[in-house]
Amino acid sequence: MKLSKKISALILSVALLIGSFGQANAAKRLHAAIADWTGGIITCEVAVAILEREMGYKIKQTVFPSGTGLWEAIAAGELDFACESWPSYAEADTVMLNEDLIYEGKVVGTYSGDGSVDLLGTAGIIGMSDYWIPRYAAEELGIKTWKDLNKHKAKFATIESGNRGRLIGCPVAGWNCHDQKRLDLLGIDFQADELGTEAAAIAEAKAAYMRKEPFLLYLWSPHWFFGAYDMVGVQLPDHKVCDSFTEANNWKDCGTAAWPATGWAKDYTMNYGNPATFASAEHADAKKFFEKMSLQNIDQAKMLVEVDQNGRDVKEVVNEWLDNNPDKWKSWLP
Amino acid sequence: MATRTDLIDKSNQSKNIITYVIIGVVFLVALWLSTQSEGPSKFPKEVTDKFTFTAWVNDGEDYLKKNYRWVTKIIASYIKETYYFLEDFLLESPWILIATIIIIPCIIAGGLRLGIYSSFVVYFWGATGMWEPSLQTVALMGLSVLLCVFFGFILGVLCSQSNRFENFMKPVLDTMQVMPAFVYLFPALFFFGIGGAPAILATMIYAMPPIIRLTNTGIRQVPAQTIESATSFGSSKLQLLFKIKIPLSLPSIMMGINQVIMMALALVVLACFIGAEGIGGQVWQAIRRLDVGWAMEGGLCILFMAIMFDRFSLAFSKDKERLPSDVQRFYLLPQSWEKYQIAKILETPLSFGNKILKIICQIVTSAIATVIRVLVSIFNKSTGENIGEFISKRYYVIPYFLVLFLIAFIDNYFLEIGTFPKEWKLSIRQPISNAVESLTVNPGFISFAKGLRAFVYLNLLRPLDVFLTQIPWWYTLAVFSALGYVTVGIRFAIITAVLLLFIGACGIWTQSMITLSSVLVSVVLCFVIGVPLGIIASYNERFRNIQNVVLDAMQTLPYFCYLIPVLMFFGGGTVSAVIATVIYSIPPIIRLTSLGLTQVSGTYSEVSRSFGGTLIQTLNKVKFPLAIPSLVIGFNQTVIMAFAMQIVTPLIGGKGLGLEVFNGLARSDTGRGLAAGIGIVLLAIIIDRITLAWTKKQREALGLIS
Repeated sequence: MKLSKKISALILSVALLIGSFGQANAAKRLHAAIADWTGGIITCEVAVAILEREMGYKIKQTVFPSGTGLWEAIAAGELDFACESWPSYAEADTVMLNEDLIYEGKVVGTYSGDGSVDLLGTAGIIGMSDYWIPRYAAEELGIKTWKDLNKHKAKFATIESGNRGRLIGCPVAGWNCHDQKRLDLLGIDFQADELGTEAAAIAEAKAAYMRKEPFLLYLWSPHWFFGAYDMVGVQLPDHKVCDSFTEANNWKDCGTAAWPATGWAKDYTMNYGNPATFASAEHADAKKFFEKMSLQNIDQAKMLVEVDQNGRDVKEVVNEWLDNNPDKWKSWLP
Repeated sequence: MATRTDLIDKSNQSKNIITYVIIGVVFLVALWLSTQSEGPSKFPKEVTDKFTFTAWVNDGEDYLKKNYRWVTKIIASYIKETYYFLEDFLLESPWILIATIIIIPCIIAGGLRLGIYSSFVVYFWGATGMWEPSLQTVALMGLSVLLCVFFGFILGVLCSQSNRFENFMKPVLDTMQVMPAFVYLFPALFFFGIGGAPAILATMIYAMPPIIRLTNTGIRQVPAQTIESATSFGSSKLQLLFKIKIPLSLPSIMMGINQVIMMALALVVLACFIGAEGIGGQVWQAIRRLDVGWAMEGGLCILFMAIMFDRFSLAFSKDKERLPSDVQRFYLLPQSWEKYQIAKILETPLSFGNKILKIICQIVTSAIATVIRVLVSIFNKSTGENIGEFISKRYYVIPYFLVLFLIAFIDNYFLEIGTFPKEWKLSIRQPISNAVESLTVNPGFISFAKGLRAFVYLNLLRPLDVFLTQIPWWYTLAVFSALGYVTVGIRFAIITAVLLLFIGACGIWTQSMITLSSVLVSVVLCFVIGVPLGIIASYNERFRNIQNVVLDAMQTLPYFCYLIPVLMFFGGGTVSAVIATVIYSIPPIIRLTSLGLTQVSGTYSEVSRSFGGTLIQTLNKVKFPLAIPSLVIGFNQTVIMAFAMQIVTPLIGGKGLGLEVFNGLARSDTGRGLAAGIGIVLLAIIIDRITLAWTKKQREALGLIS
């Protein structure tokens, strides 16, 4: 009896207390996704920091794996925006965007989807992806292009790959790199290992570099890894597209002539958001900001080194960059 | 007599031999079949093409989204609003207020010791920079627990009142408890969007069973005499329920709440996979960045939080057992230390402070009570008396709220307290990362880790992977059905066949065999490591006590925290996934081995020793056979936990069904994710039922149950 009253009194009073103190917050709010690679995290953090510091926003951030699921969450309004989508990796962009992608005044991409996601503008970062081997291995084994890889596949083998070579592949399945498909189509007798996270793949590559072992690595730039270690690309065939050649079509025709048998295109990355949110008058300023935002590769690369190599906190690094380089971002403000 | 036992022995032996021969033949045939086939066994293409479960689910999802999304949206938006409200309150109030809200109830319920511990926990959240995520987790957990207790209590009372309803609820509760939690994380995602709302709803499914069960049993266990005497005094049925039965079953209900809290915490952390905020998200980010120190901090925050809530809710349910205040002399140190002089000296100021505090509280409370009594008495005398009495009895609760209001008042009008002071930060991130780094570059450790990785992969994982994936699917299916028939019965054999056919028809046969193989390897390793530890614990009490503390901590930690140590020492890959699974699922096997061996009554081992049996003989011939049922239960639990772990191992390079689930989530392909999730559940259910039935048979054979 005593206990029950005690509990009920406690619960009731806590409810009252919450009622008396919880006040509606006056700040404008947006809900952003945290990406699953460091570059994407930094780009978004730059946007978030500017919105919060300069424009009176309060941004809620949620960890969410990149991939189609993220696009759908944004279309449904569960999230308001996400940053630095790489067109080669996104499958949903052609279906959901309906706008031109403009980079420094030039149209670099045209989309004619249903417009369920709003293309907020370019993120500024221009990305490149390829397969890489360390320079010492390239020189020692005489590997110039991907065609030479098969000859030395035994040198690239690990216990897990058996007698095939091993590619430290695209770490996250949702990124749609189709590594194994590419290797098979090109006739490279290698096995693509998906290690789950960027950090795991990089750790593996770093350890192999330290031991001066040959290894084949999928990686994109800008990335700090290239600053610290000497890597050379294997020059995959130039990017080509073929419409009837998709996973949904079960890779029917086109053979080895088109993606994913080729390398990646140059990626003009973009920020994207929920159309309803950014059409509202309340967030007109934020929309203007995203239209102007353009983070340069070199700046992201600097921050990447601080975060990934020196192990510093992302927020701290981004705020430091904003403090020291006001000339670079003041012009993005509406 | 002698001849009879001989006969039984012989028939047993011949039976055993036949069993072994059958097992051997089945295995050899499987081996032969697997070497015959080239590449993994595939389900007939006609079947997998026609049985497009994935597409059906996705179509269904689209249909529901189009037509019924508004219903779920309304529910989700209510929950979301409440959650944001609570979260805002926790995050935007001055930090001292929040700390006080948490610490003082701990002191009231669990005494000074729990109070000091809870202050440490709260300090740790702030010091490691996890203040916000910790409170988000608390908010999510608090709201889910509140909803669970509310609905669970109602359902439990209904169960206790109607046998028919209880019979209806029982299988439902069983299913809720057997299903690994992440299976409903997915549907929740698909009906309620991402974030707090689906997390809370999924947690409700996961954590509600204990409160329903314990409310039900608590009410049903109220002694018949009590009920009789209440009825004879003329209580109506409702009066009986609310004045007698429910109050008497409160300790049981409180136990239920305790379990709800622990389960809710575990799931809320996991819910970061569907976009819920909190420490789970922090740990996930840390794992992604391979930042061991960060992940550790997150893990410790969760662990400390879990222990605090556990002790807090236990203290409430053990209200009666506490010593009356005139007997209790020690507030901080154990009561048994009373004989030491130094302990007494240390305790004197504490007990003095306690007395003063109590007097102050009493004076304040009675002063308030008097004022209110006088005020209310102007309108209605008897209500005034009642309220006055009600208040003056609560001389801890009322001052507690006074303190809270005081803090809020000061914060609002005098000086802003704001967030946790930055100067108090004490990050353990860097030291941990450095320590790990120095170990991982140690050549001895590198060769050990490499050797272990190579050994597990080459000798266990790869052969089994190849073996299981290359056996033709129909053969595996037949073996499992036969096992089901032998252990449970014909009905279960058919069910097993149907379930496995479902897995095959979904086109995930190969992945499920890979999952099965990594689960089996993990379980074997659990046995190899866990049984010896259990044996040592059964002989050495001190070792057992230490081990129990460690295992308790391990079992309160949510399961993807186990990825952290593995990631730090072994990197990513399939072997790392196995090692993480072993660490997570080993506690039951250790516990139940030691329990089984210690439970074998002393007389048996005494008899064996008096006949001259050595230690090993006694262990081997007497104790182990008698402990088998317990061991099998341990095996069973370990298997289930190993399956549950498969969902998070893809984060560090695990393969199989777990990876399919992840792919489904990332590509927003609900059907694919769901099929793989169901696949894990089905495999777990099949193995669970077979081992449970086997235990039952063993126990019957040993005469432990009739």
